Order: sequence, then C-alpha cells, then structure tokens
Amino acid sequence: MTTTLEHATTMAQPKGGGLARHQNFATAIVAGVVLAWVGWFLGRHLFWNGSDNWSDQVTILTLLGWMLGFWIGIGAFNAPFQWLLGRDNTRADNLYYAGDKQGRMRYWKFTTDHKVVGVQYIIVTMGLLAVGGILAMAIRTELITPGTHFVNQQVYNSFIAIHGMVMILALIVAVAGPWGNFVMPIMIGARDMAFPRLNALSLWTLVSAATVLVGTLAVGGLPVGWVVLGTIANQAGPGMDFFAVAIVIFTVSTTVASVNLITTVITMRTRGMTLDRLPIFVWGTIITAALALYAFPFFFVAEANQIFDRTASTSFYVAAGGGTSWLQANLFWLMGHPEVYVILIPAVAALFEISSTMARKPVFSYRTAVGAMVVLAGLSAVVWAHHMFTAGWAPSLSGPFMVTTELISIPTGIFFLVLVGTLWRGNVWMKLPTVWMFGFIFNFIVGGVTGIYLSDVPLDEQLHGTMFVTAHFHYIFVGSVLFGAIAALAYWFPKVSGRYLNEFLGRLSFWLVFSGVQLTFGAMFLSGLKGMPRRDASYSFAFEHTNFISTIGAYMIMSGMLVLLGAVITSWRSGEPSGPNPWRANTLEWQVPTPPPLENFDVLPVITEDPYHFDETTVNA
Amino acid sequence: METSAKKSLRSFYWTWVILTAVGVGLSLWLPRRYMPAAMSNDAHLTMTTMILFSICAAPVASGVYAGALHVLRHHRYRGDGVPPPAPQIRESTKLLTSWITASAILTVFVLVWGLGALAAENGSSSSNPLVVNVTGQQWVWTFSYPGTHVVSDELYLPENREVEFRVTSLDVTHGFWLVNMGVQVDANPDVITTIHTTPDKLGVFEVRCEQFCGLNHAFMDAVGYVVTPQKFSSWLSAQPARA
Amino acid sequence: MSIDSPSRDQTHSPGDGPHDSPEKVDGRERLGVWLFIGADVVTVGALLFTYLYLRAVDTAGHWMNMWGYQGSLHTYQYWANAAANGTLKNPTLIHVGTVSAGLQWLVAAITVLSALLLWVGEKGLRANKNAKSFSATAVVAALLPVVGIIFTAVLLKDLPQIFVSINDSNTMSYTTYDSAMMALLSSTIFHLVILTFLGLGLSIRAARGVVSGDRWYQVRLVRMFWVWVALSSVVATLITTTITSTH
Repeated sequence: MTTTLEHATTMAQPKGGGLARHQNFATAIVAGVVLAWVGWFLGRHLFWNGSDNWSDQVTILTLLGWMLGFWIGIGAFNAPFQWLLGRDNTRADNLYYAGDKQGRMRYWKFTTDHKVVGVQYIIVTMGLLAVGGILAMAIRTELITPGTHFVNQQVYNSFIAIHGMVMILALIVAVAGPWGNFVMPIMIGARDMAFPRLNALSLWTLVSAATVLVGTLAVGGLPVGWVVLGTIANQAGPGMDFFAVAIVIFTVSTTVASVNLITTVITMRTRGMTLDRLPIFVWGTIITAALALYAFPFFFVAEANQIFDRTASTSFYVAAGGGTSWLQANLFWLMGHPEVYVILIPAVAALFEISSTMARKPVFSYRTAVGAMVVLAGLSAVVWAHHMFTAGWAPSLSGPFMVTTELISIPTGIFFLVLVGTLWRGNVWMKLPTVWMFGFIFNFIVGGVTGIYLSDVPLDEQLHGTMFVTAHFHYIFVGSVLFGAIAALAYWFPKVSGRYLNEFLGRLSFWLVFSGVQLTFGAMFLSGLKGMPRRDASYSFAFEHTNFISTIGAYMIMSGMLVLLGAVITSWRSGEPSGPNPWRANTLEWQVPTPPPLENFDVLPVITEDPYHFDETTVNA
Repeated sequence: METSAKKSLRSFYWTWVILTAVGVGLSLWLPRRYMPAAMSNDAHLTMTTMILFSICAAPVASGVYAGALHVLRHHRYRGDGVPPPAPQIRESTKLLTSWITASAILTVFVLVWGLGALAAENGSSSSNPLVVNVTGQQWVWTFSYPGTHVVSDELYLPENREVEFRVTSLDVTHGFWLVNMGVQVDANPDVITTIHTTPDKLGVFEVRCEQFCGLNHAFMDAVGYVVTPQKFSSWLSAQPARA
Repeated sequence: MSIDSPSRDQTHSPGDGPHDSPEKVDGRERLGVWLFIGADVVTVGALLFTYLYLRAVDTAGHWMNMWGYQGSLHTYQYWANAAANGTLKNPTLIHVGTVSAGLQWLVAAITVLSALLLWVGEKGLRANKNAKSFSATAVVAALLPVVGIIFTAVLLKDLPQIFVSINDSNTMSYTTYDSAMMALLSSTIFHLVILTFLGLGLSIRAARGVVSGDRWYQVRLVRMFWVWVALSSVVATLITTTITSTH
C-alpha cells in the first residue's frame, strides 16, 4: 500500500526512534495483560451479574482486551493508522521493519521479512506440537489400563479436546507456515511476499490465538470434545469462550496468510517462471491457500454464532430456543473436511519436491500431480456431510456424499503414483528427508485405505465414533503429515541454519516414531474394530491389551520427537556446515547464499526451464 | 544390463503377489477375529463389506509397498557424495492411464457395492416393525415400547423381527450405537431420528454412546438381549407398569 | 533450473528505493482485495446459510414463536425477580414478528448511495485531478455508513428478547429468527465500520496530497471493497425481507 508514496519520499530519512521501533513480544504481552484487565474490569461492571450470561460476557471481553492489547503492543495497528493519517512508511522504514541489521531481536518483533516469519512459524509449530504432544501422553497414560487413575474424567475430557484442536492448528501451519513463507518466495524468484506486513500479521494473530487456546487449560479446560458439538458446548464453562475466541482469530490469521500466499505466487514470479515451470511445492501452497480461503470463514461463523449464544442469549445451537446442533455440525464440517486437505496437500507437495531432488529425476507426471491436487481441493469442498452419516441429519444425502467422498481415492491414488514413479529407476539418495518420505508412503497407504471403509455408509454405521476413526486420522496426521513435515524440515533445515540436521539423531528419531506409530495406531485399529468408542476415559477389559500396546507406542513416539527436538537444537548450534546447496537441487532457494540475504536476490534470475532436469552439470554445481 | 533390469522387475512382481496374498489373508482373518459377534442382518452386511473392501485394497496397497521396496532394494544410491543423474523420465502415458483406470474401476466397484448395501440397510422389509422409543440423557439410555407401559433401562428385542428405533435426547447430543448390530444414529434433543435393524441371533449385546456427551460419557452404556418372540412377550407382560 | 543473464530492469540493489512500479504494485493489491472479498463472500454466505437453515428446520416452531414472557435486556433482573417470587403466570406464546423491512432497506440504500458517491468521486479524481474535491466526497461517503450504523443499531436494539422460565431454570432467549438477524446485523455494522475507516483514510490522504489525480490506485481498491459491501447488503436485505415467515 505504500509504494505509490515511496516515489515521492525516497530521499526522506527514516523517522526518528519513535515508539513503533521499540515494540516487541514483551510489549505485546504487557499491553495484552493491561487491556485484558481493562476488559475484565469493564465487563464486571457493565453487565448485570445476575444474568446467566454474565461470566461468559466478562470472559469474552477480557479475551478481546488481551487480543487487542497484544496486537497494539506488537505493532500490528501501526500501519493501518499511519495509512489513515496519510503518513506512510519510507523505504528506510520498511527496511527497518523487515529486520535489517537487528540481529536475533528481529525474531521477537513484528518483522516483515518472509524468512523471519518462516522461522517464527517453525518455533510456533514446535511449541504447539509440544503442548499437544504432552496432552497426548497424558491421554495415553490414562488409557494404559481400564478405569481412571491418572487424571479424572473431567480433566481427561478437557485434554482430548485441547489436544485435538492444538494439534489441528499445529498441523495446519506445520508445512505451509514455515516453508510457504521461508522458501516459497525464493523458489519463485521474489524478493519478499506480496504483502510483507500481512505476513507478520498472520503470524502474530496466530500467536495470540494460540495463547488463548492453550490458556483454556488454565480456566477449567474444555470438557466437550474438540468438535464442540453445539448442544454440549452450551454446558461448558469459560474454556468454551476461550476456544471460540481463539478460533475466530485463527481464521483471521489463515485468511490473511492465504491471500498473501496466492497473491505472491500469481503476481511476484520472476521472469520466465511460467506456471508449468513452477516448483510443485509452490503449486501445493497456493492450492492449499485457495482451499483455506474458502473453508475457514465457515469456522469463523460457526464460532461467532457460538459466542452470540453464550453472551447475547441467541438460540443458534440451543435446542430449547429452536436452534440445532446440526447447524453447528454443518458449519464445522464445511470447514472441517477442506481443512484436512489444507493440512495434507502442503506435506505431499513438499515430498514431491524432495523425491525429485533425492532421486535425481524429474517429478513424475508433473501436470497430473498438479491436477490431482486441484481436483482433491475441489472435491474436498463437497464431502463435508460424510462426518454426519450417523447424525440422522439428512439420510437421503448419504448416498451422494458417499459418492463424492469415494471419488477422492482417485486423486489420492495419483499421489502414490507420482511419488513412487519419481523414485522408480532413480538414484535414490538415502538421506534424512528420504527416510522420512518412505515412512510417509508406508503410513499414508494405511490411512488412505482405512478412509475408504469410513466413507462407506453401512461400514461407517459400525465404525463411526470408535477408535477405528481415531486410528485412521492419526495415520494421516501423525503417520503422514507429520512425517512429511519432518522430511521438509530435514530438507530445508540447511537453508535456514546453514547446517545439516543431524543424520544419526534424525534416523534414531525416525525409527522410534515410525515403530511407535505402528504400535499405537495399529493397535488402536483393533480397539476400534472390537468396538471401543473414542473419547472414553475408561474402557472395558476387552480392550485392555490393545490399549496397553497403544500407550507403549505413544511413549516411543514421544521419545522419538524428543530426540528430534534435540537434533534440531544441537544441529542449529553446531551441526555439520552444509553450504548453500547441499542436495544439489535446481530450485531457486538453493541458488541463493545461506542464510539468504534480506530481499534474497541482488539480481532477479530469469528462468528458462523447469527445475527438474538433472544432468552431470548439476552434480557438482 | 537388460537382463538384470528384467530380473529386478520380476522380483517386484513377486513381492507384489506375495504382499497381496498376505493382505488377502489378513482381510479374511482380522475382521472376523476382532469385530464384535454379528447379531443382525446389518452386522452381517458390515462384516462382509469389511472383508470385501480389505480384499480390494490388498493389491493396491501391496503394489505401492512392492514399488517402494523395489526402489529401496534396486534404486538406492550406495556410493559416496551426490548421486549421478538418473534417467530423466517425465511421463508415462501408459502407466498413468492404466493406474487411473484401475483406481477408477475399484472406486466404482466400491461405490456400487456401498450404494447397494446402503439401499439394503435403509429398505424397510417389514410392514409391521417393532417400534422402540429410545431416549438418551446424561448418562443413561431408556427404552420404551409404544402400545405397552413398559419403560426399561435394558433393551429386549425379539429374534427375526424388524425393529424401528425412534431416538431422541433430553439434553445434549448422544450417539445410539448397537454394537453387535452394526447400526448407530445420533440422539438429538427435540428431534427424532430413526434406524432399523433385524436381530437374527439370540444372545446378549451391548448398547453404547458413541457421541461425546460429557463427564460420564465413557460409562453411558446399556445391556441388550435378543430373545425368542415367546420370551419377548412374556418379558413385556412381566414388566411393572411405569407412568 | 537454468538462469539466463538478467535484463537491466531485473537488477536492483536494496538501497535504491522501491523495486516495482506503482502500476505493478497496484495490480498486486487489486488481486489481494479480490481475494479478501472472496473470503468475505463465503463469510456472508455462511451467515445467510445460517439464516435460511434455521428457518427451514424451524425446530419446535421456534423460528419466530416462543413460549415465555416478553422482556428486554434491561428488564432481565425484573423478570428474574418475578420468577424467583413465583409471580409469573403461565407463559404465553410470543410471536416476535419481522424486523422492520423499511429500515433494513434504508441501511442498504445508504450503503449503495455511499458506494456510488465514492465511485463518482473516483471518476472525478481521475478526470479532473482535483484532490481537494475528492477529499470532500470521500468524507461524505465515509459519514454515510455512520448513519447506517446508527440505524442498524436501532434494529439490533429492537430485537425482542423473551424471558423463558422452565422449572427452575430462567433464561433470556432470542428466537432463531432474531438470532440469525442479530448475526447479520452485527456483520453489517462490522462492514460499515470498515467502510468508515477506509473512507476517512482516503479523505485524509487526499487532503494531505498522498492520494491525488496521479496516485488514485488506492481509491479503486477501496471502491472495489465498498461496492462488494453495498452488493452484499442488497442481497442480504433481499433475502431477509422476502424470505421470512415459514408459513
């Protein structure tokens, strides 16, 4: 928004110090706490405390205070108000806000440089995975034997909901966040994202939403399941307000990020970077962004309605007032199923990239692969009611939704063809990213095949609501997406840090997590087949053995993830130096120095062919 | 060179065949070993579908696994440093079309079977089903039999007669699941949802809540009995009338 | 990926000022605005879906009718006391009726008018290069939504709340019609606030010479969003004034 001005003021000196230059994470927290207190104070006095909405009204106002204060404190509102007053940044200002010459401090600020945002996304993802992972361990520990010993039912019920939502958030940003921001702009030959400030905004709104979501644990939790079905959500305490506010803000974050990613790819490609020369990971990112742009507004409305119900006495989901939780279920799954592919597609696209580089072969059937991602994204918008086959909502629609759902297996099948086809007859370089990729192929088949059972209505009427479903989507989310995300981390880690991710620790982690996944979720399939419902704090002795195995497996996953965390920390500090292009890949991010300089390129490259041709010259380039 | 490539391909096909055989074996064994005893027409259909889909999935999954194993065995670069360029194959129309055709055929088969099974489950075979009103509330199930005064927290069903369950809830959404009958439907407040099934085996079965419903969700279950029609009517008349 | 030697306009060192021409930046920002509009289309669509869905299911006939005692937000305490004292007689069936269609159309008309005004202002700015007169037009266009906000607030305030006392539980409640209307009207206010902010910004910027006859791109960006808001208010009003009763 500022460039028109910049011509007039190119020569202007940067404005002196100013408060805006001293804003960082700490000021954001201080301002957030202050305004949260103001909101709490106002809420207690503005609203009549005899109303049964009173505590929710106070909670919501407190949280809005926190959000507002956090954004003011981090500096998110500076630019809009500068725009309002006609005092746009100079170019020198913009360079400052991009983090120029500010060392490590720039990671704690509203920094606009896409590479800083990418690293911030890595940290946020790891933080969310840690919270979700600890909750998962608590859940599995409770389930190690029948009966309740470790945590009581109330706490257990809270944990499953918060584990679910935190992990969903973590996985939505796990690939598209770090790598869509860090490497994607370089891949297309751009100096930054199209809207650098929106980029920072998406990151910091995510952080503010994540704090509120995790804060749920401090206010009595969310003992209503992560889907927060309308009718039961009405029984929840302030945790539900936290959840709803976190989701509303999270949808803002994803929308802003999606607009930015799509605009960047469409308008900022360097000369010669035609659509059929686009690295396939870039395709994956923008297809995902387009899908997110469509899907998340439904979640926004679903939770905004929830907030109205809790604070303003509306009846959206209150059966006694004429509302219906089927409305919530529809809105939730209109978002919920596309969201699954928002999570999956970036991981798959990153693996296409990795498979080509590591096999020293072009991506097999590039156009078909892109087409499959587009078809998948399109189909995912019209399958939402398969989550409601047994809800009794619209039995006559079961058939049509079964058709759309099962058609998904065709584009998904193409993913396998492309991956294995790329590796076939290649010279496969068995480095860390490749190892995790093979893990992905193994697990994704299991998750994919079991999905077909669940899409079949008659089978779903037995398997729905059981541990079988839980096992199915954990094979997708943990076994596939997380494996893809770790492969992407191992692949691009040298670009971020200039060092290899430790190969030994990485492989140790792989074997722990891989075997852990097979034990945990393999046994969970059996629990589900036998008839164990999901979300149960206790279970009958019939499920004793399979649950014991699941818990042991879960501990293995956790130890593997801790090893990986250790590998990331030690390698970042003192790993083996990698040089700018350790994998001898052709995509542009490997052609710039490591770490890439601010604005990436002195001279924008001109592209003459796609990045997937490997010959003798690329070996020692 | 040519012959070793052919040899390695032959090992790929063999791996595929062997893995498929293992998959088919598992398909025949696992569901029958682990799924609850089938006690209704729907549960038998569920079991058959489970086995059939698993058998269909076996060659697909095995094909991918055999391919991945083949790559690991024959196309892994074992030297030091950066591997040399591999053959720059970009497309194979033949492979692509056959893959898509095969997956489309399997999908259509699965769909046709599924739609058929769905029609079979939904179709009401009996003009005179036994009606049972089911009410869920936190955290108990209550069953009543219209036309009688019987209200029970145990579910008695006669053998070989279609039953129509009319399900509702007094508070939050519950999930009414007849574990051994292979059917379930949500119990929603202020709405009545229905499911049908025909018990065809005498014995005890489980009724569970499969939709998360709050504190004691894990303990929201009931016991059901499939009995002979004679026993069923004597059970009905033996129940004390409740208002 | 082979890389040719660059042409001259691709070379640019970071200290040299902006990389791209204003036209290029404008194209980028226009796409961004279109995408935001796309997300907003889904949001407004989801709100209208909510409205139509609740009307279609009409659970227990509660779309516009409810058993209870009519009250308003300010008298909740009164009703609660009455319930506690046991002075409430049997509840009556309350029919809430529709929200004033005239006032809804008035708000929509104001929004459309402000959009047209801005559009005319934009044309004038591009043709006559007169930033001062554009600034005046923009401030009027920005104040019109404020009027719309006031009328919408009146509509919101007039939604009748119903006091429901069942057994021991006392609640205030809106019918589902009123609930859906509340969400839509809140969305209207939210959009109008944004329009006011943008209109004021354009006006101030034009007065300061940041927006001018040669630098009018941002006016078009704002106008695009403005026209969408006007359009959405017409569509939403059309639906909420014609598709109301379930009978």
